[in-house]
Amino acid sequence: MNKPKAYFFPHRPQPRRKGKLRLPSKLRSIQLIITLTFTAVTVLVAVIVSFMLYNKFAATAEANANMNMQQIIEQVNYNLELYVKGMGNIFETAEEHITSSPSIDSPLLSERMDMLMSSREDLVSVAVFTPQGKYVVGTPGQSMRINTQLQSQSWFTSAVKNPEISYSAPHIQNLFKGRYTWVVSISKMIEYKENGQIRKGILLIDFNFRTIDELSRQVKLGNRGYAYILDPLGNIVYHPQQQLIYAGLKYENVEPVLEYKFRSYLDESTGEKRFITVRTLDLTGWKIVGVAYYDEIVTTKRDLNHFLAWFLGVVIVGVIVLSILLSWLIASPIRKLERTVKLVGEGDLNTPIHVSGAYEVEQLSRRFNMMLQRIRQLMDQIIYEQETKRKGELEVLQSQINPHFLYNTLNSVIRLAERGKTDEVVTMIQSLSKFFRISLSKGKNMITMQEELDHIRHYLVIQSFRFKNKFRYEIRAEDEVLACQTIKLILQPIVENALYHGIEMLPDEGLITITAGLQEGLIVIRVSDNGLGMSKETLGTLLSGGGKSSSGSGVGVRNVNERIGLVYGREYGLAFESELEEGTTVTICFPAVKSGEGPEEGREESVQ
Amino acid sequence: MKSLRLGLVLLLCAVLALAVTSCLGTSPAYISTNKTHKVHMIVKMNRGDYWNTVKLGAEAAAREFNVKLTFKAPDSESDIDEQITMVEESIKQKADVIILAASSYMGLAQVVDQAEYYRIPVISVDAEVGSAKVKTYVGSNGYEAGQKSAERLIDLLNGYGEIGIINFTNSTSGQTSSTGTIDYGARDADEREKGFLNYAARFPNVEVVQISYTSSNTADAEQLTRDMLRNHPRLRGIATLNETASQGAGKVIQELGPGPLKMVAFDSSPSMLEMLQDGTVQATVIQNPFNNGYLAVKYAVEATEGMDVPERVDTGTKLIDLDNMLWPENQKLLFPFVR
Repeated sequence: MNKPKAYFFPHRPQPRRKGKLRLPSKLRSIQLIITLTFTAVTVLVAVIVSFMLYNKFAATAEANANMNMQQIIEQVNYNLELYVKGMGNIFETAEEHITSSPSIDSPLLSERMDMLMSSREDLVSVAVFTPQGKYVVGTPGQSMRINTQLQSQSWFTSAVKNPEISYSAPHIQNLFKGRYTWVVSISKMIEYKENGQIRKGILLIDFNFRTIDELSRQVKLGNRGYAYILDPLGNIVYHPQQQLIYAGLKYENVEPVLEYKFRSYLDESTGEKRFITVRTLDLTGWKIVGVAYYDEIVTTKRDLNHFLAWFLGVVIVGVIVLSILLSWLIASPIRKLERTVKLVGEGDLNTPIHVSGAYEVEQLSRRFNMMLQRIRQLMDQIIYEQETKRKGELEVLQSQINPHFLYNTLNSVIRLAERGKTDEVVTMIQSLSKFFRISLSKGKNMITMQEELDHIRHYLVIQSFRFKNKFRYEIRAEDEVLACQTIKLILQPIVENALYHGIEMLPDEGLITITAGLQEGLIVIRVSDNGLGMSKETLGTLLSGGGKSSSGSGVGVRNVNERIGLVYGREYGLAFESELEEGTTVTICFPAVKSGEGPEEGREESVQ
Repeated sequence: MKSLRLGLVLLLCAVLALAVTSCLGTSPAYISTNKTHKVHMIVKMNRGDYWNTVKLGAEAAAREFNVKLTFKAPDSESDIDEQITMVEESIKQKADVIILAASSYMGLAQVVDQAEYYRIPVISVDAEVGSAKVKTYVGSNGYEAGQKSAERLIDLLNGYGEIGIINFTNSTSGQTSSTGTIDYGARDADEREKGFLNYAARFPNVEVVQISYTSSNTADAEQLTRDMLRNHPRLRGIATLNETASQGAGKVIQELGPGPLKMVAFDSSPSMLEMLQDGTVQATVIQNPFNNGYLAVKYAVEATEGMDVPERVDTGTKLIDLDNMLWPENQKLLFPFVR
């Protein structure tokens, strides 16, 4: 089958749409788009989720830390309250001893007082003073200093003013010789008996900081956290770094503490974030203040921070790697498809597309294949239809040759018959009958060379009667050629041409020579005449159909050429050599096929 | 094309990573307590309430800032050679920083330069030292303290009379004379004396009749006081310019019993406060030894951490008398120790 390898859909570049701003095509590649979108979406989601989780966890951690701290401070508060109550109890015991004693200077009383003193480690001194500031009795029996200014001291003044037990701010006990001690004083106006008389006096009991210190030291709020105690006026009663506070090297921001009895808040006055928790003692109005360093207490938050940073990093890297891989997987069949379609676009309709991948891509490839197949089918159909059409035309032409020739021949026969040339008439009719028998050839398109040559001989016989022996003819054929196939009636139009155009107008006798031979597997038939010959121009238009001859079948020569071309291919057909006044030689050339083995009636069968 | 895409992806990674890490915050600018700092502190004397308080302050700071504190002091305030040896030892032991209360302004200068040569910063506390290499001085202004003392004593004497001064010095055996013009005295002693004398010079009726120098020894101070009283029977006032001298003189006056003799002391040991309360001593100029010790260590740590430290830290002086000694803020200053 001679399928033309023509390019049916030449690639024509589409004009670019202008006006719309478009990204460079590299940035619009499906792979990059998928990678970026996927990464962006995943990372965004991861960040949002992390952020929400972080906030939730951080809030919980903070709340836990805060609650934990409040519990600790609550505990300290409770213990401190017990301690202060204990101090009050001791005071009441001492007061009872003194009021019940018949005389203030009784040895029993001093013994009881000594016992009281030894029961508590944190008791510094117990003493009774007159409202005028004179020392009455005390334990342990120290001697007093001079210049004590005791009447101006806060424990003294508040005892005078206030009938209840008063608790002083921490101060230096300067009353007794020996040493100066920081104490908290409890004082109250009491009555005592001296020499049988009831007198008013002020009972003073001093406590040192030992127990308070122990209580506060138990507080563990992280590594650096601590608790301190404030009195209602904002004086620091106890602080683990009291020395630094007193030396002015450290400050506590006590103002917000003083405003509330019960409070927890975040303080940033020192530059560091600190949790402050305040509880107030009902008895003394003292406030216990817990201070915890935020970053120490909320370690969970920091851990969470680190974890999330690490997690996000891993997620981002993972997502990028994954999305590159994924987008490659998705995009590569599409790109393959695109390449194949491009090849098809360039005209190669035989490219099969077998792209596997996503369902859509596979479907697309399958459908494209089906489309290609359909295109090929349609093209073949077009070729077939075209050829059939042309063949139809040729057959019509062919059928026109014969009636025309018959009419001419019969005219000649009639003329011969009128002149009574019976022998010539018989020969003519005989030749004509054989001529038509071969022409018919049982409707076959292909006949042997023998038959074709016989056919042309009969034709020439008939014509020689018509031209009144104006020409001679010779037919020579090699024996191998005779058995070969040929398309029927290819010689007649050429010989007809030679007769009508070459010899008819010739004043001398004409000669037509037909030779047939084999050359390199080709049958070469030469039809030569010694006629008028043709000009180059006529020669050039012979096959293209431009020059239409005035006599004969007209389209005969071109018809022959077309038919040979259709059956054997375009490279075969007719060749002309001609010189004015010298004659013309037509060479017919087509492959030699032995009768019975070649493409007999081939075309009709080969197409569909 | 491939490399362009890779580049874009990497850029994206970098931007995201940056965005994530920048949310996590930065560290605050306070002293890092992760590292242990080796601080050597060399003071004038290993006895006396004053130097104990300095040490306690230093120890408080050491606890707070994770400092390994090595405390050294000679037996006597006048033992310059011993102090020099101690500084040399500290250099050999590769201290991170040396805190020095120099017994002699010039005597310790050379060894301080030597420490600087080994890239060990030196911080002077209480008494300055004659070296430009010292990072910072933490202490009180001696001149001002001397003036305060003189002002109160002259006020107590109603502006007239003979005054004796008992100061302290490095000279244990008359070394001062042999060193010629070079000032080998302790800087703080000199400054206090100068401050006192300059103030007293404004009063024509006030006459400083004698200045005695005690080495670091109460008995010596007592003896000097007795000598002074014997030599100047008309003496109306005594000013003592350090703790040892104050305790010696106070003891003598206490033995004499209440009389017209007025005294302004220096520093606040508990016994001095007792004397203040019972009227033996009328006033005392106090410094801030606890703060000196604490701040010296604090700035020492900051200096090793490469932070900027102030050139001079004045911890102040205050005049305490019977009236104001029990004011709450003075209580805190005089008795910084709760336990």
